[in-house]
Amino acid sequence: MEMFIQQWLPIIGESVIETFQMVIISLFFAIIIGFPLGILVVLTRPGQSLENKFVYQILNLLINIIRSIPFIILLFFILPFTKIIVGTTIGVKGVIVPLVIYTAPYIARLLESSLLDVENGVIEAYKAMGIKTRQIIWNVMLREARPSIVLGLTIATVGLIGATAMAGLVGAGGLGDLAYRFGHLRYEVDVMYATVFILIVLVQGIQTIGNRLAARLKKD
Amino acid sequence: MIKLENISKVYPSKNGDVLAVNNVNLHVKKGEIHGVIGYSGAGKSTLIRLVNLLEKPTSGKVYINGTEMTSLPQEKLRKTRQKIGMIFQHFNLLKTATVYENIAIPLKLLGYDKQEVKERVEKYLSIVDLSDKKNTYPAQLSGGQKQRVAIARALSQEPEVLLSDEATSALDPETTDSILDLLLKINEELGITILLITHEMNVIQKICDYVYVLENGDVIEDGSAINLFTNPRENTTKKFLNTISQRKLSSSLISQLKLNGAVTRLTFIGENTGQPLLAQVSQKFQVVPNILTANIIELKNGIVGNLVIHLVGKKEQIDASLQFLENQGVGIEELEGN
Repeated sequence: MEMFIQQWLPIIGESVIETFQMVIISLFFAIIIGFPLGILVVLTRPGQSLENKFVYQILNLLINIIRSIPFIILLFFILPFTKIIVGTTIGVKGVIVPLVIYTAPYIARLLESSLLDVENGVIEAYKAMGIKTRQIIWNVMLREARPSIVLGLTIATVGLIGATAMAGLVGAGGLGDLAYRFGHLRYEVDVMYATVFILIVLVQGIQTIGNRLAARLKKD
Repeated sequence: MIKLENISKVYPSKNGDVLAVNNVNLHVKKGEIHGVIGYSGAGKSTLIRLVNLLEKPTSGKVYINGTEMTSLPQEKLRKTRQKIGMIFQHFNLLKTATVYENIAIPLKLLGYDKQEVKERVEKYLSIVDLSDKKNTYPAQLSGGQKQRVAIARALSQEPEVLLSDEATSALDPETTDSILDLLLKINEELGITILLITHEMNVIQKICDYVYVLENGDVIEDGSAINLFTNPRENTTKKFLNTISQRKLSSSLISQLKLNGAVTRLTFIGENTGQPLLAQVSQKFQVVPNILTANIIELKNGIVGNLVIHLVGKKEQIDASLQFLENQGVGIEELEGN
């Protein structure tokens, strides 16, 4: 046991850090892109304040197209685009772009459903008080949807961790890569078990934090 | 204060246009409370949303305090709405905000400074009698308390007009009464003009000066509350009146009673209960009045008494006694059997 730890801890530790790096950085950018996208989809919907059939349909189509491509294909499919954006297609840097592209539409969809769950009556009440649409988005829609947004982001984060497992294909490392290279290709079963265990703990931890935070934000 | 001129609202649909509100005219003077009553689907909700233009009218004009709302550009309309309070059947509070925040957030968004926000929240919470609940979340409040918060939120913007969209429909009878008392209080003490919609006749009875009966988008009858209660014309109106007092006798019973006399509804306005008049009738005309049902309805602006009597006697005597009662200012309505 001790030997195992001594031998593998640095490698596993590094993989954990790589996974965290990929998840945190991609999540950050995916939120920056996904949130406005989700809000726009809701607002341009028929019957909403910025109703615009054309924009709504285009956004829907775009989100659906990206959401239909499995990450492992997306990763290679957009290589030229990745190269333009970050100048490289390999390493952590190279995998961030596909991870963001993969997660942002997902977050947009999750946000859309959270926002649509906000009672229309409250929004109507604020309209009747003469409050600006922009203010209603921030202070009514996003505010009331907070608990379900947190849960949505938790789901997105777990999905993102899953996607980072494929990052090894472009040399970005991470836990998935570790399990594949050492656990599978080199038959180091212990490493496989250790990685799976860490991933389980990680996902459990994130889900628990997400649930608790959502419960605290929810006031009913 | 609130004036609707020939307001119509048409919703286009696949199976042809739906006329939700048809050529409605309505005028609420400053300080009055007017009520629109109708069954669900009559167009009430659409009608009240036409007043603050949450729904755009297909034709017609809306005036609030002399300003023609229908021609205002978006930004001006938004500003004008700040002076039109609105309360709802389902309260429409922020679930994630405390009672205090529920009133403070709109004020902040409307640009009032911190001190002003604080003063107003406290003032209006005390008017609705909820000062001790300011740090509570809506989920922990009863329906009546939630509606009080919503009323405080509407009042905190110091509106001239309050629109009430079925504000008591989700509440039990006792809570309904307390909310109606509160509405009456803000009408009297703050001078706020109120237009409400409801399907409950007791709301009309308790607080309305003037009533419109809405059916299929048309105002089929309107008049002062006293007039409507003493002299309803339309069947729908009568049906609504039946909901608050047992006015109806079975037609078989009426037929049976009519074999030896007349069955008549007498309506009295004011505190005259009719008792001495009936005594006079029986002395003067040799008829025996027999009271079948009796009730008194307290309206905001007066009392209406309702008496259904069975007059036993000769035909000429009965006619003469009814004539006498009519001359005394009593409303007479002969009831028909089957």
